[in-house]
Amino acid sequence: MRADIIAAVNQGIIAIVQLRHRADFMRRRCGWLRLSPLALLASLSGCSGHQLRLLHPDGPIAATSLRLSVIDVLIMLCIILPTGIFVAISLWRFRAARKARYDPGFTHSVRLEVLMWGVPFAAVATLAYFSWRGVFLVNPYAPTALGQRKSLLAMPDRPGKANPLVIDVVATDWQWLFIYPDQHIAILNALRLPAGRNIEFRLTATDVVNDFYIPQLIGMIDVMPGMRTKDMMRADRPGVWQGFSADISGAGFSWMQFPTRVMTQAGFAAWVAKTQAVPTHLDYARFRSMARPTIDLGNVTQVFSAVQPHLFSRIVHAAMNGVTYTTPMFLTEHMRRDLARRVPYLSGYPHS
Amino acid sequence: MSRTAHRLIGPEEPLWAPHHPEADPVSMHTLGFWLYMMSDALIFAALFAAYAVLDHPYNAAGGPQIRDVVHPAGAFIQTIILFTSVFTYSLSMVGLKAGNRAFVIGGLLAAVVFGAAFLGLELRDFARLFAEGATPDRSGLLSIFFVLVAAHGVHMVFGILWMLVMMVQVAVKGFTTAVVTRLLNLRIFWMFQASIWVCIFVFVYLNGAYR
Amino acid sequence: MLVHLQGAWTPWLGRLTLSQIPYNSPIVLGAFVFALLMAVPIVALFTYYRRWGYLIREWITTLDHKKIGVMYIIIGLVMLLRGFIDGVMIRTQQLLADGPRSAAHLQAVHGYLPPFHFDQIYSSHGTIMIIFAVTVVLTGFQNIIVPLQIGARDMAFPYLNAVSLWLTAAGAALVMISLFVGDFSHAGWVGIIPLTELPYSPGVGVDYWDWALQLSSLGTTLGALNLITTIVMMRAPGMRWFRMPFFTWATLSTQTIGLTAFPVLGVALALLSCDRYLGTHFYTAGLGGNLMLYTDLFWIWGHPEVYFIILPAWGIMSEVIPTFSEKALFGYTVMVAATLSIAGLSWAVWLHHFFTMGAGPGVNLVFSVSTMLVGIPTGVKVFNWSLTLYRGRLRFETPMLWAIGALFLLLVGGLTGMMLAIPAINYTVHNSVFVVAHFHTMFLVSVFGIFAGLMYWFPKVFGFRLDEHSGRRFFTFFSLGTVFVFAAMYILGLMGMTRRLDYLYDPHWQPLLIIQEFGIFLYCVSVFYFCKMIYVSIRDRAKEAHGQDVWQTSRTLEWMTQTPVPFYNFAVIPVVHGRDAWAMRRDSGLTATSPDQYEDIHLPNNTIVPALLGGLAFGFGFGMVWRIWWLAGFSLLGIIGLVILRSFADDKGFTLKAAMVRRMERNHEDTGIMTDHISPPVAELMLFQ
Repeated sequence: MRADIIAAVNQGIIAIVQLRHRADFMRRRCGWLRLSPLALLASLSGCSGHQLRLLHPDGPIAATSLRLSVIDVLIMLCIILPTGIFVAISLWRFRAARKARYDPGFTHSVRLEVLMWGVPFAAVATLAYFSWRGVFLVNPYAPTALGQRKSLLAMPDRPGKANPLVIDVVATDWQWLFIYPDQHIAILNALRLPAGRNIEFRLTATDVVNDFYIPQLIGMIDVMPGMRTKDMMRADRPGVWQGFSADISGAGFSWMQFPTRVMTQAGFAAWVAKTQAVPTHLDYARFRSMARPTIDLGNVTQVFSAVQPHLFSRIVHAAMNGVTYTTPMFLTEHMRRDLARRVPYLSGYPHS
Repeated sequence: MSRTAHRLIGPEEPLWAPHHPEADPVSMHTLGFWLYMMSDALIFAALFAAYAVLDHPYNAAGGPQIRDVVHPAGAFIQTIILFTSVFTYSLSMVGLKAGNRAFVIGGLLAAVVFGAAFLGLELRDFARLFAEGATPDRSGLLSIFFVLVAAHGVHMVFGILWMLVMMVQVAVKGFTTAVVTRLLNLRIFWMFQASIWVCIFVFVYLNGAYR
Repeated sequence: MLVHLQGAWTPWLGRLTLSQIPYNSPIVLGAFVFALLMAVPIVALFTYYRRWGYLIREWITTLDHKKIGVMYIIIGLVMLLRGFIDGVMIRTQQLLADGPRSAAHLQAVHGYLPPFHFDQIYSSHGTIMIIFAVTVVLTGFQNIIVPLQIGARDMAFPYLNAVSLWLTAAGAALVMISLFVGDFSHAGWVGIIPLTELPYSPGVGVDYWDWALQLSSLGTTLGALNLITTIVMMRAPGMRWFRMPFFTWATLSTQTIGLTAFPVLGVALALLSCDRYLGTHFYTAGLGGNLMLYTDLFWIWGHPEVYFIILPAWGIMSEVIPTFSEKALFGYTVMVAATLSIAGLSWAVWLHHFFTMGAGPGVNLVFSVSTMLVGIPTGVKVFNWSLTLYRGRLRFETPMLWAIGALFLLLVGGLTGMMLAIPAINYTVHNSVFVVAHFHTMFLVSVFGIFAGLMYWFPKVFGFRLDEHSGRRFFTFFSLGTVFVFAAMYILGLMGMTRRLDYLYDPHWQPLLIIQEFGIFLYCVSVFYFCKMIYVSIRDRAKEAHGQDVWQTSRTLEWMTQTPVPFYNFAVIPVVHGRDAWAMRRDSGLTATSPDQYEDIHLPNNTIVPALLGGLAFGFGFGMVWRIWWLAGFSLLGIIGLVILRSFADDKGFTLKAAMVRRMERNHEDTGIMTDHISPPVAELMLFQ
């Protein structure tokens, strides 16, 4: 047990150090730009271009969303740009000082009114078509975007029997636990995925609603206590992406990010094998102590082997039957006061 | 196109409406009260929607199901009593047309008595359920059952309170415009509560017991 | 106790203890000092000039729709300032708490706000801005303007109108007192379930939020039925439906939404209260509760509420743009149809607030399409406004500037709104600051509309213009601030930044956060110019005083009355001959405010009862929040008793004799001011005479 804690703390320190390195890197590289008015432009290009996460998808789900966004924006701009230009020109041309043609009788025109209903209607009809395509393409339960596309216009196949890797996601207050039920392993506050393989997430929460989100890979899906939501995705290439918790869930919410490391299939298999050998096991009792409200400052990660079978449904059913992890007063109402006294949670309550 | 958008007002057209009759206070208050009833209807609509969502065996959470807590026969008696109350209230409206104060007060009194009897039966029903351990904090299903029925009960309490006030006002003030307006609106209120009860009786009691 | 409470409870003080007053928090202390600095001079001035009696006789007890509207607007602007300060604190915290190496100040982990304090600030920011600032100011405008526009002497139910005001004030007071006694909710303005349940929000914060919303939503519902009845029953002769000014149409649509949507909020919150006070299981995850029920009920109100906020602002734009284009509103009938269809559609789109909740594709698609349908009438409105400008004679006075600003914001908001309506796109940005930027764009349409209305109608209500010079600077800085803050926020959304973060993980966001903070600075400058504008205008009020129609090109009936408007509005009710009644009269050379023949005017007496009801409602709310049962119980009984008592005291009202009306009107025409200061007496004071 003691060894686990030391290992966990070490990992946390490493994570913090890594983050600092990245921050330093950023500072060196961008330097003066950070404070200049040009920073806006800089952030749009070059220096931190790939930080525009939504514009640089790395999987078919996020790519589909981006493609639809582009289509949507283009269609809308066809209306909004001319309207904006028309307004701007009108403002210029018909200002009182200019004494342009003044016609107070021009207050009604059937032809224009047909046009002004017709054009938005056409736009909405077109967008409704894409919305219809889209809901199936990125349908969390069976996204057709993961299937093969026969042609540009044809609907892709259903994901098919690609034998997805199942990952159970549990949001506690305020940590993420990822269970790999078929591999009997689990990892806390970090996610490991194989590239090129379909992933099926089954998600639940112990207590309060949360939102699971990896911008470049997968859109948001609510994570709800006593219920199971699903989502599917695939990562195109190995790399590290940041996963976010997107829905406020209490005091520790801002620290609920999880680094997502996408590995090669072989690398992933090696990681699974290595993890299956760690001595720390995870059963429901241990999960319960872990799920007590914890603010995960410094992203402390931990791996488990020999995860109890059906732990996920056990957690879902516990929530359904009224198991809660009450938030103590000092993590809410009295936080201001107690923080002054530096209560222990800062160094990893309740582990310490 | 014309120089101006609109025609000009001719010299023969009237510009002012002196002694313009103000809106009739009775019809104005009645419209206002109907609008209030609409918002009240929305309250019950939302509660019924919540009931529809929570009326599932799963929402009983292992506790009593809805068929275990409702007794349509008792509720039927309540229904009859409530409608008798509405009937006596309507009789008092006959008295209002005749301008007979005693008649109106008598009708109101009967409506109050029957309304109170209705509430008494409802409270007895609640007491029985509490004794059986079927309390609102047992499950989501029982929560909405109690809150829906009690929300109607609270409206009934306010109706009875209003009737008591009106009995005094009829006695003291007679049939002034304000009193008559209030009597008419109270009639809408009371009938509305009766029709809400019909919905509760059908959707909660009958549907719950004989599904 | 039906539920398990963390912390102490005593019969006399409930959960209230001395430690609940956060005197040791420097920020709250600062807020307290600021509030004192605001309040003390006001109290001192009232005392020095012995104006308390005036305040009670003429304002607190008034049933005059204009004064009630002014009080609504004052409450709304004070709350707007509070909400703005909250917004500044949110952005500053995010700037300071960016990256793991960001410094910690005061007692925070990063930045200067600990998580729970930060959570309260964004929750109060949202609640205040939506419920207590924008909604309240717009209600104020509707109160002042609608009876004038339809040629009525007052609202249908003046007494109920005052009750609505004081209920809203009680709700606002609850929000304000939560700053100094206890805490506010930390679960966002939407009250995310089950975070608002007792186990996760053990303190009083959620209760403050809950009861403040309940009280003000009751006020809004009563206000809605009042305004609808007014519009239906009190129009001047000749004011047919399709002759009504457009703002009145917008009000009718808005208040129909208000009347039908707010009761649903009441139910959503009442069931939450049951969970928190009685231990029921409506929204719990376990024991048969259904947390999605809350989300549905809340947004069934929440989305119509969005239109409750935006439709009146569009109504204001539809008054301001024609006035300063010297042209009638283009496509009036079509505009009415568009407004009504938006009001109708507002009920059918609520699910788009939670596309990510795991509903199937079919459900999401239906709500996606219904949401996009709203875009059609909205587009129609934009086209109509731009065609109103076309071939007009445009004058860019301050109200027009705000209206044009709103028009451009609407274009941006429409673009991003259409993106969010598509579930496949929505998934990627649902809870990111992209959405925050989108709905701020839309709410700012409303805020721009509010400022347009403020500049436009201020002279009508107070008799002098707002200072044009600082008004323009106010507009410029406010618009620039909007651009910097929200352009940066859209980009941050694309960078994957999620909402409501107390600590920001990614140091790459820093440049944009700095840009945002610069925008916030511009907003602060604009607030300075706003205050300067008010100060200069009041100082130079004699110079800026003017007659009945300051803009010379306005079109609707409110500009036909004397300025400032006498408490009886119209000495004699005018006859309406067509749309834009005032423009018709002016073009026909008929600008008299009244004929030579006068008549007696009958109006209700002032009364203190609505203010007392508001006070008792506040007591009830405060008692419920702290679980001081005796206080809540006595307040409730007091409310019921007072209502019954009032129903016995039939108000005979106040009659202004025709001769007096004549004198007042003549004096006004000669001197431009109301020399005889007459308003209805307070009914309760008459008991002692």
